[in-house]
Amino acid sequence: MSHPARRPAGDASRHQGLITRASIDRRRFLQLAGGAAAVTGATTWVGSWLTPEFAQAAVANPDLYLAGTDGWMYLPPTPALPPFHPDNLAPSPFTTYIFGFRNVTGLTETQKDNQKNKAQHSAPQFWVNQFDPENPVDFKVQVTNLGLALRPDLFDAHTLHWHGFRNVIPFFDGEPTGSVAVPTGRNFTYVYRPRDPGTYMYHCHVEDVEHVHMGMTGLVFVRPLQDGQSIGGHTKFMYNDGDGSTGFDREFSMFLSEVWTESHWADAHIQLPEWSDYRADFSLLNGRVYPDTIAPNGSIDPFNPVRDTDGDLIAPPGHPELKYQPHSSLVNCNAGDQVALRFANLGFREQAMTTAGIRMRVVGRDATPMRGRDGTDTSYETETLNIGPGESYDAIFTAPAHQGPGAFDTYMLYNRNYTRSNNLAPGGFGGQATEIRVYAGGVAEQAYPNDWGV
Amino acid sequence: MTTFSNVIGGTLHGRTARGRALFVAALALVSAGAATLAPITSATARPPVPPSPRVGIACTEGSGGVAGEPIFNLTTKTGYISLPDGNTAFMWGYSSGFDDFQHPGPVLCVNEGDTVTVILHNTLPDASSVAFPGQEGVTADGNPAQPQFNGGGTMTSLTDTAAADGGTVTYSFVASDPGTYLYESGTNPEKQVRMGLFGALIVRPAMGADFAYNRADSRFDPAEEFMVLLSEIDPYQHQRVEQGNSFNMNNYHPRYWLINGRGFPDSIADNDASWLPTQPYGALAQIGEYDATGHPLPGMARYLNVGTEDYPFHPHGNNGLVIGRDGRPLEGPAGEDLSFEKFAINIGPGQTWDVIFKWYDAEGYDPVTNPVPVTVPSMANEEIGVFYSGSPYLGTRETLPPGIQTTNQCGEYYIISHNHALFQITSWGANMTGPITYMRIDPPAPNDCG
Repeated sequence: MSHPARRPAGDASRHQGLITRASIDRRRFLQLAGGAAAVTGATTWVGSWLTPEFAQAAVANPDLYLAGTDGWMYLPPTPALPPFHPDNLAPSPFTTYIFGFRNVTGLTETQKDNQKNKAQHSAPQFWVNQFDPENPVDFKVQVTNLGLALRPDLFDAHTLHWHGFRNVIPFFDGEPTGSVAVPTGRNFTYVYRPRDPGTYMYHCHVEDVEHVHMGMTGLVFVRPLQDGQSIGGHTKFMYNDGDGSTGFDREFSMFLSEVWTESHWADAHIQLPEWSDYRADFSLLNGRVYPDTIAPNGSIDPFNPVRDTDGDLIAPPGHPELKYQPHSSLVNCNAGDQVALRFANLGFREQAMTTAGIRMRVVGRDATPMRGRDGTDTSYETETLNIGPGESYDAIFTAPAHQGPGAFDTYMLYNRNYTRSNNLAPGGFGGQATEIRVYAGGVAEQAYPNDWGV
Repeated sequence: MTTFSNVIGGTLHGRTARGRALFVAALALVSAGAATLAPITSATARPPVPPSPRVGIACTEGSGGVAGEPIFNLTTKTGYISLPDGNTAFMWGYSSGFDDFQHPGPVLCVNEGDTVTVILHNTLPDASSVAFPGQEGVTADGNPAQPQFNGGGTMTSLTDTAAADGGTVTYSFVASDPGTYLYESGTNPEKQVRMGLFGALIVRPAMGADFAYNRADSRFDPAEEFMVLLSEIDPYQHQRVEQGNSFNMNNYHPRYWLINGRGFPDSIADNDASWLPTQPYGALAQIGEYDATGHPLPGMARYLNVGTEDYPFHPHGNNGLVIGRDGRPLEGPAGEDLSFEKFAINIGPGQTWDVIFKWYDAEGYDPVTNPVPVTVPSMANEEIGVFYSGSPYLGTRETLPPGIQTTNQCGEYYIISHNHALFQITSWGANMTGPITYMRIDPPAPNDCG
């Protein structure tokens, strides 16, 4: 959280510094900016007047355009955790103040600006093809900062930190002390040439204790160059395995995060939490708690977004309260399918994700295939993955035979740490849990990751 | 056990002296099996002590003068450390020889196969000890080191103790396996380890000090060897101990988390920084850019966790290659390589992880020949970090606007590493502190980094 009192002197003088950077002499500056008052009065500055490039000119046609802002999301109102949950400032049907990213790719300027105070959690999931030196393509993500509607007293910058990206220069790492961050109303474009397939995560790294916990977190993964070849009966893979051992038929991302209601309430109510008192009141799977985790997806294909005429999200059918939590966690599959699960944890506690009755094979960890340097296979089978903060795991399971008599068999995927699999409600199973539904057949091919196929 | 209150009377040395003459004297007495140490009143003719490196592991070497038989004196002392919120904490610690209090204890560096002797001198009001997890065949005063029990059959210590207020005990073991180890109090460890009685022990392999293990693929650049010793503090426990009161561990609640005994930004200060007189170990990882010919060897980070839960430590910009854990290389029975890369080093309590790492600009960006493929926004449209050079390019600096302060010296890069249980990078209200450090990448030589 930025406090204005810390910074005005620096901001005022920063604008003077602009003069030399922009090759505009001081006399010209004074003419343009209206005199000395502009030099000392930070609030009167209009930066783009004098810059050689407008903020929007940072890049043309990014592959993805993300906006950081604040907003509201929904968590079950029972049990109440007064005064923190539900937040009495929350507009119905929402309960919880968040910071978050939105996908504003392709929106008009007006539509984009409309998204202030309409953040989502988790952040838009996206993916990139592995960089191919034979056919080099840059993947560009432009980030803008729409500001915080509820906290105009803050002027926090934002960044995009692609967590786990190897051998990146600080300029594109999104860590603000070693490089730069994006102030309100400005833009910055990150360029990626991902060389290592696997599952990663991304988040804002500005004051990240706060910005990460407030919800500026999501999952990103890299598809291997091997994709499209037919190896071992598959054409889609998690890694360049050479033998099809990481091939799959359908794929689901499981992004883990947490909500400590006191800290979310504190940001909304202009208070500061004591972070060493941290506790996870709610543990989330793709931004929701069970049974909301099995509610339908909103529009979650980042490259084919569907939005309303104002550019806003469209709530999943029958769930207006999940308008800003578009990612479903329901796993639908056919018996015999190879199903890929991508786990990433940006909560602050270790989780123990368990598949009851189904064994997973761990084929990757932290965007690294389970192979020693000499090729030794280090993959292993388990039903429980202990996933620490900042870790990712790639697992594949074979969907068991359909038993019936129902249309599908249900297996639970849940956090074995039961304090993370409830909503603090008596007898309630919730939190980081979802269902795996195995059909005899008929589940269609996925159009995008986490697609239900039915 | 022996008493030594007469030994230390009048012979306290400064930190830099490291009391080597005393080590030698003590060795002679120990090897003679003496039950009581004679008073030592002169400490002349000490050999000069080489200065610690500014960054990286600052080894304390054994003394004794006999190759393969290093001797370390450790003295338990009390003192204070500085914390990032301006607070101080009362601590217990192992000091090197008879030096002043330090935190954490000295980094003991020995070679594989050495017969290591550690003489503990206890000035605390409680009995104390040193346990060596990962070492086998440890003796105490010549007998196998054993858990201690009181007359009622209740265990009082995990290993033999030195009595309160002046007792000593001499431990010995053969350092049979290279790797990274903890040493820590085995007596009331829920109190004494928490109070700071811990340190790192490094056993270097027969292949040489530039190897982590006896494997050719464990080689690293010895100029780029670092310690990442992670710990935590509940200030109320320390206050209770300072006041001589008991502390109910059911109320234990850490408020500080430290790296090498410091919190950020102290963590990136030099070793032996003058303003941190009791916290000698920095955590800045200063390395050169990987280059297949010019700088082919990786750096080495030795992670240790003396806390109470897993710490997920996240180095940006590189995946560390975990090549060993708990003093054993990650290899199969036929020597198969079982190492694995991680971008989150999720290290458990009491564990040590050995990680080699390197960094290079995968794109080889250059301001002239290979510029970043975006228009760099004007600085007025960026918020500028305190370590930023003003330029995306390694070795390039740009004039920053007046009033913007940077600590950047020569266009070097700073790439952060930090605990990703993010509530733990705070210090009882001071956010963005605690276990944070940086990988500093200097431009290729010649440079003007000083």
